[in-house]
Amino acid sequence: MSQITLPTGAVLRARIKKANSAEKRADIGWLGWIIIALGSAAALFFILGPLIMLLTTAFRGPQDLLPFEDGAQWTLANLAAVYLDKSLYTSVLPNTLIFTAGSVTVTFVVAFILAWLVERTDLPMRNGIYTIILFPLLVPGIVLSITWIFLLAPNTGWINVIIRSFLRLGESGPLNIFSMGGMILAQGIGLVPFVFLLLSAALRSMNPSLEEASNASGASPFTTIRKVTLPVLLPGLLAPLILATLITLEQFETPLVIGFPARINVFSTRIFFELNPDTDLPAYGRAAAVALPFLICGIALLMIYNHLIRRAESFVTVTGKGFRPMRFPLGRWRIPAIAFVAVYALFGAVLPGFVLVWASLFGYALPTFDTLSTISFAGYIDLFNNPKFWLAARNTFIVAGASAIIVTSIGVILAWTILRTQLAVRWLLDFISFLSLGIPAVIAGLASMLLYLSLPIGIYGTVLVLVLAYSYRMAVSTRLTRAALMQVHAELEEASAASGAQWFTTIRRVVLPLLTPSLVASFTLLFIIGFREFTIPTILQSPDNSVLSVMMWQAFQAGKTTQAAAVGTMIVLFVIPIIFGLRRLVLARDGRD
Amino acid sequence: MLKVEGLERSYATPDGLVQAVKGVSFEIPSGSFYTLLGPSGCGKTTTLRCVAGLEQPTAGRITIDGTVVAQPDEDIFVPAYKRDIGMVFQSYAIWPHMNVLENVSYPLVVRKPRPPRDEIKDRAMEALRLVGMDALANRSATKLSGGQQQRVAFARAIVRNPKILLLDEPLSNLDAKLREQMRYELQELVARVAITTLYVTHDQSEALAMSDTIAVISEGLISQAGPPRAVYDRPANEFVAGFLGGANFLTATVTEDDGNNGLAVFDGGAGSVRVALPAGIHTGDRVNIVFRPEDAALHFAANGTGNQVHASISRLSFQGGLTECHLKVGATLVRSMLHPSVEAKVGTEAWIDLNPARCTVYPARETSRL
Ligand SMILES: Nc1ncnc2c1ncn2[C@@H]1O[C@H](COP(=O)(O)OP(=O)(O)O)[C@@H](O)[C@H]1O
Ligand SMILES: [Mg+2]
Repeated sequence: MSQITLPTGAVLRARIKKANSAEKRADIGWLGWIIIALGSAAALFFILGPLIMLLTTAFRGPQDLLPFEDGAQWTLANLAAVYLDKSLYTSVLPNTLIFTAGSVTVTFVVAFILAWLVERTDLPMRNGIYTIILFPLLVPGIVLSITWIFLLAPNTGWINVIIRSFLRLGESGPLNIFSMGGMILAQGIGLVPFVFLLLSAALRSMNPSLEEASNASGASPFTTIRKVTLPVLLPGLLAPLILATLITLEQFETPLVIGFPARINVFSTRIFFELNPDTDLPAYGRAAAVALPFLICGIALLMIYNHLIRRAESFVTVTGKGFRPMRFPLGRWRIPAIAFVAVYALFGAVLPGFVLVWASLFGYALPTFDTLSTISFAGYIDLFNNPKFWLAARNTFIVAGASAIIVTSIGVILAWTILRTQLAVRWLLDFISFLSLGIPAVIAGLASMLLYLSLPIGIYGTVLVLVLAYSYRMAVSTRLTRAALMQVHAELEEASAASGAQWFTTIRRVVLPLLTPSLVASFTLLFIIGFREFTIPTILQSPDNSVLSVMMWQAFQAGKTTQAAAVGTMIVLFVIPIIFGLRRLVLARDGRD
Repeated sequence: MLKVEGLERSYATPDGLVQAVKGVSFEIPSGSFYTLLGPSGCGKTTTLRCVAGLEQPTAGRITIDGTVVAQPDEDIFVPAYKRDIGMVFQSYAIWPHMNVLENVSYPLVVRKPRPPRDEIKDRAMEALRLVGMDALANRSATKLSGGQQQRVAFARAIVRNPKILLLDEPLSNLDAKLREQMRYELQELVARVAITTLYVTHDQSEALAMSDTIAVISEGLISQAGPPRAVYDRPANEFVAGFLGGANFLTATVTEDDGNNGLAVFDGGAGSVRVALPAGIHTGDRVNIVFRPEDAALHFAANGTGNQVHASISRLSFQGGLTECHLKVGATLVRSMLHPSVEAKVGTEAWIDLNPARCTVYPARETSRL
């Protein structure tokens, strides 16, 4: 497969069977069994541990006690408190639906147009545009959300100030980010890069001779699009749509940063506020009760996604790979197309980046020539003199790096077990690792909180608890590694055994070297996900385990705008070297440059 | 009837302009089977796609049944969907979201005006029957084997009874055994539908077995065109001789010449042959003598005719029905086919009898061994 192998393939029973048809019973020795047992146990623990804790908590009370504290008992009071409350049906539920539907629509329409332009038309400078579009993927959602406030806050937002100066309006408005529309816009634009990545891969995987065969059968270009292109692409396009829905549904940053001031609550923020009420003690049981349907929705969406991906993959396997992509000449649509890309790049990448850097140097006022003289590095100087910043930076790298290493390692063990053994648990492992994709970060955070508060091992509030909580995202590495391992013929391993190598030697000298590219890809992706992570460390925060994204949010909340912008800028600066690594990886595999 | 004149096609690539087709001309009479044969990358597919209308020529003219469909200097270009063609793609391009019947019906469904439903179904089923796939009409396209996909692709190409049938290496994706079987099947099918056919392949045995006319292409130009036998027996140049049935090449010097025939003496005094000389070759010229392995009969004594080459056997490989024999003439390798009853031993001397009528003479450039 030369296309980007995304971390999100389907559970493909048929293919697994085929890979195993050799019916080999590898003699893997006691070392092999220990490694497999440890890997499987770790995967089950990281994913099922928190979930089981969550489920039981929903049925344990009273609500301010941890589920297994002295005095806690079985109860339905949490469910009753949550589901008999009218506000759930009059505000949280409709808000969540409108927010999700609206954002996903914005994301999908913009991402689809961009992907189509880049992959299927003769748009100029496609490779450069591809990179620009993907750039915001690396910037934490919390940074993007805050830059939207800089741009569209009703009083001081740059765009509002500019509009007012032209239209001679009053003190405030006309646009207001603190509204449902604002949330939808910020969230919708923010998710474009990820969906663009998936859609462009889907568009690229289509064999152009399918369309040519339609042409040669006498169908006009329009008929061809309607009867061949769209139907063939449909599963590959719907799958990212479903995934985008899943991600938006679990979104926490935008609802917290933009929705909270606007008093718009969705499911994720509702869970958070159950845990951090203004006056009361945390209501663990109620938070868990709110989380249940949210989790079920996530898993249902995941199943639909799995079905679509399987269909899309069966389409690709029948038709093989084409090599002459048919690009539509844009003709007189060239200018509008370039304008569309430019407007997206402006609002999706350039303006947020600019306003962030500007605010860190000049404070949060609209730039004029006069402000240029007020440049001040105080924000950075303060930051660099603040040991908390260095602690947070260190924590961020440690947590992202350690969890990426843990998950990638377990992913290899799972992938090998699933493809190369006959163990009965491999179905469970496959299913569970895929399931992890459907667990919202809010729930992962909540569940880890419950688990590690209850376990008497004294790690709550440390960096270690973050590493463990992050490590549930097994789907990414298992999928990537499994796809790569499927390309490694089992005979390559058998040849090593036939040369006298023991199992572990074979793994070390044959399997791992062959898997290196996908291991690096898996690590990079997980590292970026960990680096961006905001939800889990917010829920599990303590003075010792603060990470950069949380620090930025705290500074912003405390009104230290310049400092918040400086932290945000530093995050982006830390992340930029990573983009080059990723770009090289993704593009090299893709045969782009 | 298809007529292609001076067809050229070039691509702008990062490494500069690639001239894929450099001026190809040919004509296919109605109902005839015409094959473009050549090594991979020589421009066969590009030529075929220009005829299909999937690719715009950069120069030349293409005429289908008296209508000019492409002529860049007149700004004429009829797109593929307006040409009356049927095409089988190298990857078959079976649409995965349709079943077998829907795939085959498609060219009729998109026809304007659309024929009645019953007629579409009848004709599609008839095409499927022709390829022996009528029993699988409702099978999903994602559940077909390679051979079945190939048949469906063929049925789809002929269902609307096009003026021209275009086939781009339709057998190359099949495994060896199936390929042979499908070759016979395809041959029969094409004969039955009697549509003017342009066939592209790099496999000489397919080309020789199936075609009315073969055009051997090299680097974007037709090297030689003609009936299979003529091209095989009288290759116009060394490229054709080498590409079509592994040929032997020996360098020689012409020592006598009576205007038509001459005596060619092989280098190193290994022997000689009295052959017909092409125009322009005279005494003293260096030449290449080309002959086929099946025309290189072995003997173990000199026969005195003068049409012989002295060689030594360097390798024997028994292949069942015959034995392939490698010989050294000086430093040059020559292959010969022996009946298995002939007893030969590696290392022994032998004489290769040459039939002058089946030797072809080319002026020697640098010795090119193909
Ligand atoms: N779209 C294209 N862009 C650039 N070069 C091409 C393109 N299509 C074909 N070529 C080049 O043109 C030459 C002929 O290609 P093709 O017609 O596919 O060869 P064949 O079918 O004989 O193997 C090759 O060198 C190929 O690399
Ligand atoms: Mg070709």
